[in-house]
Amino acid sequence: MVAQVVVSGILSGALYAMVALGLALIFGVMRVINVAHGPLLMLGAYATYFLYSMTGVNPYLTLPVTMALLFVLGMLLERTLIYRVVDAPELSSLLLTFGISIALVNIAQLLFTSDLRAVEYLTGSWLVGPVALSKSRVVAFVVASALTAGAFLFLRSTKLGKAIRATSQSREVAMVCGIDVGRIHLITFGLAAALAAAGGTLISVIVAIQPEMGQIWTFKSFLVIVLGGAGNYPGALLGGMLLGLIEQLASLVLTTQLSEAVAYVLLVLVLLIRPTGLLGGRQV
Amino acid sequence: MVAGAAAAVYPLVGTGYGVRALLQMFMWIALAGSWNLISGLTGYVSFGHVAFFGAGAYTTAILVTDAGWPWLPGALAGGVAACLLALLIGYPCLRLKGPYFAIAMLGLNEVLRALVSYFEGLTGGGSGLSLPTLQATERVYYVMGATAAAVTLVTYLIVTSRFGLRLMTIREDEVAAEAMGIDTFRHKLYAFLLSAAGPGIVGGLAARDQGYIEPISVFPLVTTITMIVMVLFGGKGTVWGPVLGAIVLFVAQELVWARFPYYHQLLFGAIIVAVVLLMPRGVLGVLQQKYRLPRTI
Repeated sequence: MVAQVVVSGILSGALYAMVALGLALIFGVMRVINVAHGPLLMLGAYATYFLYSMTGVNPYLTLPVTMALLFVLGMLLERTLIYRVVDAPELSSLLLTFGISIALVNIAQLLFTSDLRAVEYLTGSWLVGPVALSKSRVVAFVVASALTAGAFLFLRSTKLGKAIRATSQSREVAMVCGIDVGRIHLITFGLAAALAAAGGTLISVIVAIQPEMGQIWTFKSFLVIVLGGAGNYPGALLGGMLLGLIEQLASLVLTTQLSEAVAYVLLVLVLLIRPTGLLGGRQV
Repeated sequence: MVAGAAAAVYPLVGTGYGVRALLQMFMWIALAGSWNLISGLTGYVSFGHVAFFGAGAYTTAILVTDAGWPWLPGALAGGVAACLLALLIGYPCLRLKGPYFAIAMLGLNEVLRALVSYFEGLTGGGSGLSLPTLQATERVYYVMGATAAAVTLVTYLIVTSRFGLRLMTIREDEVAAEAMGIDTFRHKLYAFLLSAAGPGIVGGLAARDQGYIEPISVFPLVTTITMIVMVLFGGKGTVWGPVLGAIVLFVAQELVWARFPYYHQLLFGAIIVAVVLLMPRGVLGVLQQKYRLPRTI
């Protein structure tokens, strides 16, 4: 029983980590709190659904397409709306992205209706000893881990990745070093949207798709960042895993409804006891 | 003055629909004004404010149906319950800096809805609670109007007081405020408690008026969104801004958008984006600058 729970926790943990990483990047680089992150994930899920129902191609193969689409959308949002509030007080960016998230969710409601959709591609589980592993979750874990690892490699070793990290540490100094900060912001937002879209794709095979599906992801992504420490990118990994584990453990003891409250209580506890996050990060 | 007298007399001459509509408008004035108390004055954006509305509604409904309370004390008790809830949430969360407080409030709605469903015995769970039928629209109208007036008055008193000045200092630069010796936590907490009372009472009144509540009807995100849009549009941090925003947007909503629910929310989202980018201080803010109106408007 416990083994099942732990495994489930780890499986969902990677997904949480990947989506949260995007959010962490936006916050670290641009100091913007992207309340619209969940809706971006939702759009990724819908994109996957439509690609699948129109072409019948394996949704995992259309993943790069979905990511590219949302990458472009992310850049568009940044260039038209977000860039104006990058220097404004955080309140402005909060409200702005809140407004954007409402707009996105309702556009989705209008275009797609709130009928539940699903991508029925990979069903069933593998049985490994006493543990049942849902196939779609295992694949999600593998892909999410790969993408997250890829993102970290990108941040660590490529010139662009280093530029992003530099901007995240200090924008002025980055500018002095000749980094085009505006371009970095553009790319970061696009990248985060792409990661969220990947999350949406992977999740679309697991749960039902509807316009409001992203909201809880926004909140959980923030929780992950708080757990790991704001501005601490590897912390997002740890935070994701922790959230996954704690959620699953809670579902052992509590009913489904109460376990939703667990994430919330966790957030409040962490913010009270260790606001810089478990691995230490910026004090917010 | 004139508006007040007109409003007081209206139920005698107006239609049932008209009274209901004005009742709702007063409700929104009270809600928007309350949201302004915390988010407009201190800059701590509360994304979960409808939680207090719902808490008030459920408290009142439970007191009326299970304990036989009359609706007016029930509604007031709703306000008290909302304040207690605000204390419970605010105590840990207000120690955080602005953005993290906002994040914490985001999740609040969902949690409350889950909890209400969980405590089914008391709250009727998903199937909701029905209040005993009572023809009280006109009395509710007056109380709602009084609440709206009270919230506006409280806002005025705060904005013109030292307390209000300190709140606004917190908004502008919290670090400087602390350096000056302001106990930011206490001040934020008081503002938060005050901002919860209005929605709590109004929630109870709305429960009485509608006669039936269920989790989805009293904790909808759209209520928070509407509060936010009204205040942003009218001018956050001002006294009459939320009133203006509430009236204008409510009328627009009744005339045009209520027929198209998703367009309506979409429009609200678009308005929020537009206001933040183009008119961050709201209509009143723009007028204040243009015509050199006093700060305490």
